[in-house]
Amino acid sequence: MYSTFFKHYWLKSTRAPGYYKNLIVNIFVGLGVLYFLTIFVLLGFLLPKILKEAAPQLDPAFTFNTTMIFVITLALLFRFLFQPLSTINLQSYQVLPIKRSKLVNYLLIKPLINPMNYLTLCFAIPFSITGISPAYGIGGAFRFILIVIFLIWFNTLFATFLKRKFGSNIPAIVSFLVIVAGLAALEYFKIYSIFDLSQRVFNFLIESKIGGLIVLMLSGMAFGLNKWFFAQNYYPENFDKKATKKQAETQDFTFMQRFGKIGEIIALEMKLVLRHKRTKNVLYSSILFLLYGLMFYPNHMYKENDAMLMFIAIFVTGIGMILFGQWIINWDGSYFDFLMTRDIDTQSYIKANYFLLLSLSVISFILTTPYFLFGPNILINHIVAFLYNVGVNIHVYLFGATFNTKRLELTKGSAMNMQGVSYKNFIVMIPLLVIPMGLIGIFSLFAAKNTALIILAVLGLAGIVFRKQLLEITGKQLLRRKYALCEGFRKKD
Amino acid sequence: MIEAINLTKLYGGIAVLNISSIIISEGESFGLVGNNGAGKTTFFRLILDLIEASSGEVRIDDKKIARRDDWKSKTGSFLDESFLIDFLTPEEYFNFTGRVYGKSEGDVTAFLESMKEFFNGEILGSKKLIRDLSKGNQKKTGIAAALLCDPQILILDEPFTALDPTSQIRLKRILNELKVNKNITMLISSHDLNHVTEVCGRIVVLEKGLVVKDIHTTQDTLKELESYFAV
Repeated sequence: MYSTFFKHYWLKSTRAPGYYKNLIVNIFVGLGVLYFLTIFVLLGFLLPKILKEAAPQLDPAFTFNTTMIFVITLALLFRFLFQPLSTINLQSYQVLPIKRSKLVNYLLIKPLINPMNYLTLCFAIPFSITGISPAYGIGGAFRFILIVIFLIWFNTLFATFLKRKFGSNIPAIVSFLVIVAGLAALEYFKIYSIFDLSQRVFNFLIESKIGGLIVLMLSGMAFGLNKWFFAQNYYPENFDKKATKKQAETQDFTFMQRFGKIGEIIALEMKLVLRHKRTKNVLYSSILFLLYGLMFYPNHMYKENDAMLMFIAIFVTGIGMILFGQWIINWDGSYFDFLMTRDIDTQSYIKANYFLLLSLSVISFILTTPYFLFGPNILINHIVAFLYNVGVNIHVYLFGATFNTKRLELTKGSAMNMQGVSYKNFIVMIPLLVIPMGLIGIFSLFAAKNTALIILAVLGLAGIVFRKQLLEITGKQLLRRKYALCEGFRKKD
Repeated sequence: MIEAINLTKLYGGIAVLNISSIIISEGESFGLVGNNGAGKTTFFRLILDLIEASSGEVRIDDKKIARRDDWKSKTGSFLDESFLIDFLTPEEYFNFTGRVYGKSEGDVTAFLESMKEFFNGEILGSKKLIRDLSKGNQKKTGIAAALLCDPQILILDEPFTALDPTSQIRLKRILNELKVNKNITMLISSHDLNHVTEVCGRIVVLEKGLVVKDIHTTQDTLKELESYFAV
């Protein structure tokens, strides 16, 4: 029976209309995965050295152990936020004479066979060789790898349970963050050291012969919790709260009304963002991405790398625009026929989208002003990046959007969802990020970074000054592509 | 007035629609019948400029419609679910549509009041999103939004399917009143010969993209159509 389920699952993914056409996207995703794999493997090998430098008096393996509880908690948070719940079209199987427990087991085991979940091993195996085995011996290294595998199981299952039980709503996320902050505070005020506890627990687990068994039992418990949840909620309508939610939360952006038709369309797009899972997830993750600069700006390694700094500047000052811009026009796909037959002229429609992206850029820019504290260099970078984002990138996105004829499914939400993404989304990246980075990189070689900054700023300003003309060009382009867009959006995946 | 002249639409070299000339005059109620794949929806999409004609053109009030905006202000239409914004509540959807056509909130409220009987107390005030409505109620919402803008031209694709019997009768009454009181031009396609002959003064039968019958509705029309389709 299970093999039939997995076979159906395989057929479902390979028979999805976009599967083969999406080859180019898959190649890009593959390259991304390869990049992270390499980083993971390198990190695994080099971590003992780094830890030795950070805490010279301790063995790297011990230092590593002290952080384990935090690492696991953080991983759990990420899974809670981003891991999609595995689903099966329950109703079409429920009416067949199949034992319900089998369906449930299948649902729970499915994510465990996803190779993406085991990426951590690319780090853990090298580290077990260079870090664990010097301290605990070969046996310890093997136990360490086993423990990591079981912890992946535990986290996957436990996150699923939390998500099913509490839903991924804001209160749940906030309470999770409060717990983590609480743990950090205990540590900080020296009331109770989690680091110490973590060190002792994992020291014991790796040394003891039954260490792996204990963690395996933990993941078994997480499995049991999930089973218990399904036993409590027999009918899908009982736990799938979204499906039966009677009252929709409705927010009205009445303040947008004063801007006429354009304001109406912007208010509509705002509702679209707030009422779909996928767009909401992106909204949350864009808040996390705002902090991306903190990984680079304080680091001396990047002080001289002007191209990299420009990349970060463009990315963080335009994060909202960059993440949502890739969907612009496209996300109206499910009611595009409606928009095209109502009394909305093309120019107003384009303008509404322009102002939406513009306000997203302005908001992101304002939110990233604290980065100015990292010095005048960053300040100038950010201002130039902002100008380039507003003057060039918005127009690139709008013009590029007319080529993307794939219907976007917004109700299925996960951060790693590539549905509705085509290679055209990646081509847009060239003027978006590659040109500014390239310019800065090349001019920096000749110690003329400022020239590059001036060029970028002038390009941006030109785009702002000539926005009317540029929007008219995009409007004409939209009319030219109208039928192709209509046709593409009618095709459901 | 709507004119379709030498209008063809090819998909992969095969003509799915081939109309040498159809002229629909003002105030006419035009019924379109035909089996699946006859080209009904294609014809409506061409009139609404949602697909590009392979040759020929559609003119409304003697103006080309392709890639233009001016015909939109006098046209109301509902073809399928891609005319619904499913993450809005019906009220929000009506208000959005109304404001796009420059209607005030009062206009919209007054219109919705007049639709109360048709909605049968199931659509307004439920705070449900359109995507959570039943198929029949979604259809009612779409039809009402098409009527909301006081259209001079109304285009509905199979408005009777998915409606319950009471709603079908009420819809027929609404359409007949609009015909008499407001003299609007109506284009309605249907699989239900009964309904379409009751509402429309002229019936065109499409088969594989060609006009095979173009008749003025009389007492005998229903019989004529039934015998035509009873093959």
